[in-house]
Amino acid sequence: MHRAATSHVTTRRSLLLAALAAPVLAACGTEGSQAEPESTAPVELSVFWWGAEARAKATEEALKLYTAKYPFVTFKTTWQGNQGYYDKLATMAAGGNAPDIFQIDDGALSEYGERGVTLDLTPYKANGKLDVSKFPESLWKYGEVDGKLAGVPTGENTPGMIYNKQLCADLGVPEPTTGMSWDALISWGEQIYTKSGGKVFGTMDPSADYKALWMWLRQQGKELYKGKAIGASKEDLVAWFKLWQGARDRKAAPSADIIHEANGGDVTKQLVVTGKAATSFLWANQITEVQKLSKQALGVVAYPGNPSAQWARAALYFSIARSSTKRDRAVDVVNFLVNSPEVGKLWGADRGLSANLDVRKAVADGLTDATQKTAFAFETDLAPKFGQAPPVPPKGHVKARALLITHAESVQYGKATPEAAAEAYLKEANAAIAS
Amino acid sequence: MAVRRREGIAGYTFLSPWLLGLFGITAIPMIGSLILSFTNYDLLSPWSELEWVGVRNYARMFADDPHYVEAVIVTVVFALVAVPLKLGAALGVALLLNRNSRANGLFRGLFYLPSLLGGSVALALVWRAMWSKDGAVNGFLGLFGIEGMNWINEPDWALSTLVVLAVWQFGAPMVIFLAGLKQIPAELYEAASVDGASRARLFWHITLPGLSPVIFFNLVLETINGFQGFTSAYVVSGGTGGPVDSTLMYTLYLYQAGFTDYEMGYASAMAWVFLIAIAVITAIVFSTGKFWVHYGDQS
Repeated sequence: MHRAATSHVTTRRSLLLAALAAPVLAACGTEGSQAEPESTAPVELSVFWWGAEARAKATEEALKLYTAKYPFVTFKTTWQGNQGYYDKLATMAAGGNAPDIFQIDDGALSEYGERGVTLDLTPYKANGKLDVSKFPESLWKYGEVDGKLAGVPTGENTPGMIYNKQLCADLGVPEPTTGMSWDALISWGEQIYTKSGGKVFGTMDPSADYKALWMWLRQQGKELYKGKAIGASKEDLVAWFKLWQGARDRKAAPSADIIHEANGGDVTKQLVVTGKAATSFLWANQITEVQKLSKQALGVVAYPGNPSAQWARAALYFSIARSSTKRDRAVDVVNFLVNSPEVGKLWGADRGLSANLDVRKAVADGLTDATQKTAFAFETDLAPKFGQAPPVPPKGHVKARALLITHAESVQYGKATPEAAAEAYLKEANAAIAS
Repeated sequence: MAVRRREGIAGYTFLSPWLLGLFGITAIPMIGSLILSFTNYDLLSPWSELEWVGVRNYARMFADDPHYVEAVIVTVVFALVAVPLKLGAALGVALLLNRNSRANGLFRGLFYLPSLLGGSVALALVWRAMWSKDGAVNGFLGLFGIEGMNWINEPDWALSTLVVLAVWQFGAPMVIFLAGLKQIPAELYEAASVDGASRARLFWHITLPGLSPVIFFNLVLETINGFQGFTSAYVVSGGTGGPVDSTLMYTLYLYQAGFTDYEMGYASAMAWVFLIAIAVITAIVFSTGKFWVHYGDQS
């Protein structure tokens, strides 16, 4: 029976450990010779991304365009939903099997960039193999980690508050606007709750959402991250938690269990989709996806407060694995994907608004879908108001982001005071970033 | 001598698939993880950045990580509640099915079914839907005019739903109990009945002692299983262990440390502490055995 016990203990371990053992074999080599980009020997590149079915289809089609141009280049594509994507990517990278080209976002760019998983694209930018000359400068710079170009932005995107337009009209409440204050939003939310007879809460409580907190801090001249530390003080965080505690008390925001459903990040569980609240704090380009899930007409405005706190943010990046043996070809593919007008048209706003401004204009001119038009119009209106971009979130951000959710929720559920939660978050998040 | 050696070689050849598995995917990686548990291994960085950090990972667990402590508490509570309830349910149903009736085969199959589904993701997903605010459980409670809550989204209740899920899968110990019940000699019951013993006394003085080796076996296995709950917690909480760490099982936190926080050295240390803790707990369960387990061959 002792025997049975040990073998039970080791099964899950062995899975973990298989992942540990693999890189020993695979970590060496690969720095050496590169295939000439001019070579026409058949080559297969692996590409990995997360997203929904529509994105998968559009990506496959874009890659087919490349193959049409260079018939000797083929692709092995893998895609999945967002949940578990980074677990899989990390496992592949640890095993020395990182995909040649993979999608990444600014939450993880530093995690991979600082640890040297991504190829530094600066030399390719210098020799023109990677052309970002038509990108806004702040946008491609937002792909730099420690002075190395770790990823190429696929497009520009900003956080957007998506709201239920239809409901506003039905209840006779004015629609929220870009630039309205946080307090105004909460009062607006209260109105929605009252006028709907308590059926719909006004606004999602985004106190667990780092994007919202970051925006709110920037409006006060602060940053979420300052080097390798949290840029907010304990007082800031207490004020932030209390702001939303007030909103919940006034029924402008729903109760903790409902907020928790949306905090998971699943698009289908967002309150504007499930109809439990009239707003959701998402990304502006997600309106196309969210609109498909909702029967009611939706709109999008900037997060409350001064919109100059926003910046030209990369929706997603393509990175190339440093371990790839086909780097030059991979760079050429990425260069094609971000600069080709055909690809721009295929993708629309799905990976953000095309980073290449010429492509963006071409795409905007040819738009027919009303929701996509909304997304483009939103970003175009906001662009002149953009403030200075902060550095990409540091290594440890992924954990700090999860810690904010845990501690903000402990306030929402009444398990901790705003003061205790702020203190615990600061201590733990600082430790996560510093390491 | 030569024959012997040849037999030896043949023996090891036949054993080799198992040996390869043992060393390749269990023993060597385990030793690897033991070594890594003393380093800052982060899964992604090049090996040149690997640093020896001594016992820092181990010290951090107990001195500097409130979530770790939380995970230990959640796991212990889960095991302490779920294991006895599951064994109780298994024994109860086994007693009911231990009669000679034609429908027994069917019932046995039905009760065993949830265990076959085991730790499956699909089942956990169904569970999550069942216990949500407008799920089947609240629909059922609604029949009695009770308004249920958002079970899996309440920190005070989320773990209970996982306990119920674990208890519901009592089929495996139940089948073992059934086999054990059939082993108890019928003469004992007959003799006791002739002497006028009540059913409660029969159960207490014949069934339980007769079944004690099987209870012991189930207890050990289920305890070990109980501590290792992962899938249901992962799926029900969406991988977060939330709300507010209420479903943060030990293995889930370990997984997060390794694969989401990129602290594989720390995760390895956690795994070793876990291994030792389970070994100790199992040893304790074993040491209690001599007080209450009666084997048939003992007089």
